Amino acid sequence: MSGSAMSAATTNPGGATAPPLNLPAPGARERRRLSPAFGLAAPGTLFVVLALMGPLALMFRYSLNRFVPGQMMVEALTLANYQKFFADSYYQEVLATTLWVSGLSTLLCLLAGFPVAYFLVRQASDKWKGRLLLLVILPLLMGNAVRTAAWMVILGDKGLFNAFVSTLGLSPVKLMYTPTAVVIGLVSVLLPFMIVTLQSIIEGIDANLEAAASSLGASHLTTLWRVVLPLALPGILAGTMLCFILSMNAYATPVLIGGPSFQMMAPAVYQQVAKAMNWPFGAALAFVLMAVTLVLTTTANVLVQRRYRRWSE
Amino acid sequence: MSDVVLQSIVKRYDATTAVDNVSLNIRQGELVALLGPSGCGKTTTLRMVGGFIPVTEGRILVGGRDLTSLPPNKRNMGFGFQNYALFPHMSVGENVAFGLQMRKLPKADIARKVKTALDRVKLSHLADRLPKQLSGGQQQRVALARALVIEPDVLLLDEPLSNLDAQLRNEMKLEIRNIQQQLGITTIFVTHDQDEALSVADRVVLMRAGRIEQMGAPDDLFERPASHFVAEFMGVTNLLAGTLESVGRFRLKSGEVVAVPVAGLSGDLALALRPERVILDGTDEALLANTLSAEVEFATYRGLVIDYRVRLPSGVTLIARRPSPAVGGPAPLSPGRAVRVSWQPEAGTLVPV
Repeated sequence: MSGSAMSAATTNPGGATAPPLNLPAPGARERRRLSPAFGLAAPGTLFVVLALMGPLALMFRYSLNRFVPGQMMVEALTLANYQKFFADSYYQEVLATTLWVSGLSTLLCLLAGFPVAYFLVRQASDKWKGRLLLLVILPLLMGNAVRTAAWMVILGDKGLFNAFVSTLGLSPVKLMYTPTAVVIGLVSVLLPFMIVTLQSIIEGIDANLEAAASSLGASHLTTLWRVVLPLALPGILAGTMLCFILSMNAYATPVLIGGPSFQMMAPAVYQQVAKAMNWPFGAALAFVLMAVTLVLTTTANVLVQRRYRRWSE
Repeated sequence: MSDVVLQSIVKRYDATTAVDNVSLNIRQGELVALLGPSGCGKTTTLRMVGGFIPVTEGRILVGGRDLTSLPPNKRNMGFGFQNYALFPHMSVGENVAFGLQMRKLPKADIARKVKTALDRVKLSHLADRLPKQLSGGQQQRVALARALVIEPDVLLLDEPLSNLDAQLRNEMKLEIRNIQQQLGITTIFVTHDQDEALSVADRVVLMRAGRIEQMGAPDDLFERPASHFVAEFMGVTNLLAGTLESVGRFRLKSGEVVAVPVAGLSGDLALALRPERVILDGTDEALLANTLSAEVEFATYRGLVIDYRVRLPSGVTLIARRPSPAVGGPAPLSPGRAVRVSWQPEAGTLVPV
């Protein structure tokens, strides 16, 4: 109450009582500053709305249509496609596979990525940091399909890995077309995202905090657990969400490394839309995938936010 | 609590030597200030004592125990950081409790000790606040409480006052000194501010380019600087190069011959003369053995004092400091005015260049 009264008294929003000078009122100047920013943001915003929300809305509309073999898509307003997903255990299994493969890949990325990011920030000299970071990002400069093809060469039944295994006198391992291979492939794709995200957040943690913890008697591990990890939480969340979303929607890796009998959601959507020509069901699958991803990442976000909001704001 | 001994400490980075053969004995309960310009190795030395930087050569002993190769968490030292380094995600109380938790003390003991430590810095009422909700001075107090609550053998403070404004700095300076004396804790205090070092320390160690330039009691360094560098760093603005002509007679490079105290020095020397000791248009001739004529070049008004730059006929300039009219000083002199410059011989100190 008193706060708003005070702000009303100290600012001059209307400009009605502005001094009779040829100067803009303080409020007006601030408003003028904002407008170029709006102007700059407008094209991007417009593009996002048209190019992203438009097709999305269209797809959602499709998901409510009916599929009639021979006629393809028939205009309708039905939830039958969604009902089909929840009635068919096959598709639920596809979703379950997508979830655990994504969850595991993300977890592995976090476990492998954190030490690398931490090393990059705290140990590498400035000269080497840039080079190593470039090395981390290098795989991203390659196309997804090319990279996945390379994994096929490595993981194939007569691939590099099994060639190595047989030189050790061991029997070859079946890797190609297994979920293990898909997880390996996904981790290799996603790890750079995790490392770069974590690197930037760890960079912002004052090294003196770790020195302080150490001088107070904390071991390296305790310092990591009590000081570094809590402060890196926003970055861990961002990196985890990024990797999870990307692997939930992965296409090339599960198709090429997982093989025909391994099904994840994104390939299933493609299957329906491009092969079965069942646009309504494909759209419904896409929306289920999106909804599940959204719910999980939002929940994670809320849970983590609740922990670090207190001191981060 | 214990005495600290640095034995020929050396720190080398590839080609550069940051700390070059520093030896120092610090008595139990003594407060030693490591003073020097940035890059002189004072912070590196402190961090080596704290264990954050490994030493290249030499040994560090605390209470006779060799700590050289121990990590910081095994040294039992309290460290105060320049930016305080309070854990932003922990409350004031949790920050102070951290070191006690590491020592696995019972919860009740921790609560009691945290309370005592915060009482000591008058912050118990803010125990539940987060660091960012505190002012700079309060943060500094929390950092101090956090470093002291673990009952360290040694307290190490890295520029603890440099982030505070002038008034708060004075207050904290006294408070740190006070607590240090109460606890009788051996303390190393790093600073680049000579005034801070003089007013807080039992002993001042002035460093330059990784070496100890001079160490001694505050008045030793201030009144008896052993070198040109020390005199300059201690605020002597008049350093006149020259050579001894005979005992007590000093010939400036510019030709003037002045009377100086007897000193066992020879070769290229400088006469260090504080601006406060330079008298303009003095009247008591008996005290003013050295009197030269000069001209006021310009005056700098500094509130309590006015600094005059005066030029001798030979071109040499001197700074003379006089009380301003605000504190009952004489009327200001305007530039261009002819004045007599004088000082007592014993006001000057000869230092090697």
